[in-house]
Amino acid sequence: MSGASGEAVIRFRNTHKAFGRPVLSGVDLDVRDGEMFALFGPSGTGKSVLLKTTIGLVVPDRGDVEVAGRSVYFGGAGSLAWVRQLVGYVFQNAALFDSMDVYRNVEMGLPAVRLRRMSRDEAARSVWEALDLVNLDPAAVMRLLPAELSGGMKKRVGIARAIVGRPRILLWDEPTTGLDPVNTVAVERLIQRLSGELRVTSMIVSHDVEGALWMCDRVAMLEGGRIRFCGGPDDFRTADDPVVRAFVDRAAAEAALGAGEMS
Amino acid sequence: MIVERVLRRPVRAVGRWWQDWAEHAGQIAHLVASTIVAVVRLRVSWREVVRQIYVMGVQSIPIVLVTALLSGVVTSQQGSYQITAMVPLYILGSVTVTSIVLELGPVLTAVVLVGRVGARITAELGTMVVSEQIDAYHSLGRDPIVALGAPRIVAGLLVMPLLVGLANATGIASGVVALNVSADLSAETFFYGARLFWHSWDLVYSLMKALTFGFAIPVIAIHMGLRTKGGAAGVGSATTASVMFQTLTVLILDALFPPLFLQ
Repeated sequence: MSGASGEAVIRFRNTHKAFGRPVLSGVDLDVRDGEMFALFGPSGTGKSVLLKTTIGLVVPDRGDVEVAGRSVYFGGAGSLAWVRQLVGYVFQNAALFDSMDVYRNVEMGLPAVRLRRMSRDEAARSVWEALDLVNLDPAAVMRLLPAELSGGMKKRVGIARAIVGRPRILLWDEPTTGLDPVNTVAVERLIQRLSGELRVTSMIVSHDVEGALWMCDRVAMLEGGRIRFCGGPDDFRTADDPVVRAFVDRAAAEAALGAGEMS
Repeated sequence: MIVERVLRRPVRAVGRWWQDWAEHAGQIAHLVASTIVAVVRLRVSWREVVRQIYVMGVQSIPIVLVTALLSGVVTSQQGSYQITAMVPLYILGSVTVTSIVLELGPVLTAVVLVGRVGARITAELGTMVVSEQIDAYHSLGRDPIVALGAPRIVAGLLVMPLLVGLANATGIASGVVALNVSADLSAETFFYGARLFWHSWDLVYSLMKALTFGFAIPVIAIHMGLRTKGGAAGVGSATTASVMFQTLTVLILDALFPPLFLQ
């Protein structure tokens, strides 16, 4: 686990969002600098929506989000662009650009201003390093199109694209969804290693509760549009709240089922 | 109470309709403004413009040629059917050339482009929306309108006049041949008639139509693609609506041309 400094680097302040029906109903949550933070919750409770409000992919109806001390929505012109330079976002299904090869996909992760100042060799070196960090052989995959990659490789390229610009914060939207158990463990180890090596703050939205619990410093549970629990992984496992208890038990049962299938 | 209940539904429907149109108008204005700014600031990827010229222009040539060829044959044949012994045959040259240059060349080429290019753009961008690739552009601090929209609009403006010119020439040539075979009208007599009633303005008018359609088709296709919601079904609905919207726009703009420019 990484060493969190205690200072909040992401702050959700009374965040509301509705899509016909309310999804987020006043979320207040702090993610501390340098920590690995996991957000759990039943399907459809707005975990990914909350994550997307951090960089303006979903705009809250009410409330605000602060990143590194600056308001995303009330911080004046350019605040959203500034925040997006600080944050790397790993999408659930990688969201690689179909028409671009792996090299171009990862290169797109370099901020446009920095890319314009870089020589071609420097950009290539950054892409190479990012692919290397996610355990892909750059020489073998660089010229492949996303359609030619396996699910696990797509995830890794998506991660390489998110880290190539050396962000301060990494947001992970269901990083292990759709992967087989072997790849799930590999990606979880990768997340933990990268968070340590790159010294970033990680916020992970995940359905894989057991997997996230062993690698995160703190966890929260979103339920009914609000934060139902926020604390350490051990407190989460032993929580008295019946809703949290039921969620933990169900997650443990699913994990046992998955382990059985794997063996 | 009853009156209020009866009135509420139609008032709401009208309100929603206006809101929808205001949204469309605002988003199209934003798309056009962003494209102009991107072109002026030289932010458009010229490599992408060239690729789009190939996709929209070069790959459309066969279908445009076939359409123009057939329209030339049909126009000349119908003209010859309507002309009686009292009217000199050389009039057919003027009828064919004017019909093709003023109307059939630009409009049929536009309709072909709606089906071949407009539908493709909407489906492509719609798929990028539902697979979160557009969100990925935003998360990386890139504007998808600049990266994906502007090159398509610039390419549309560049290729459409060339395609219409090609369609006009092909339609006239096929008209000459068809009249020569069916009505024994020589090419000299055909062009004598064509020259007799020719205005140079007709060519400018034809190219003005081409530019207008070359702008409207990609703008609507991009706009509809970026508004796509839902999964595969959403892409299908967006593409259908886009084709309908583009065809109607072409026909409405076409109807506005004579009162504005042929008086």
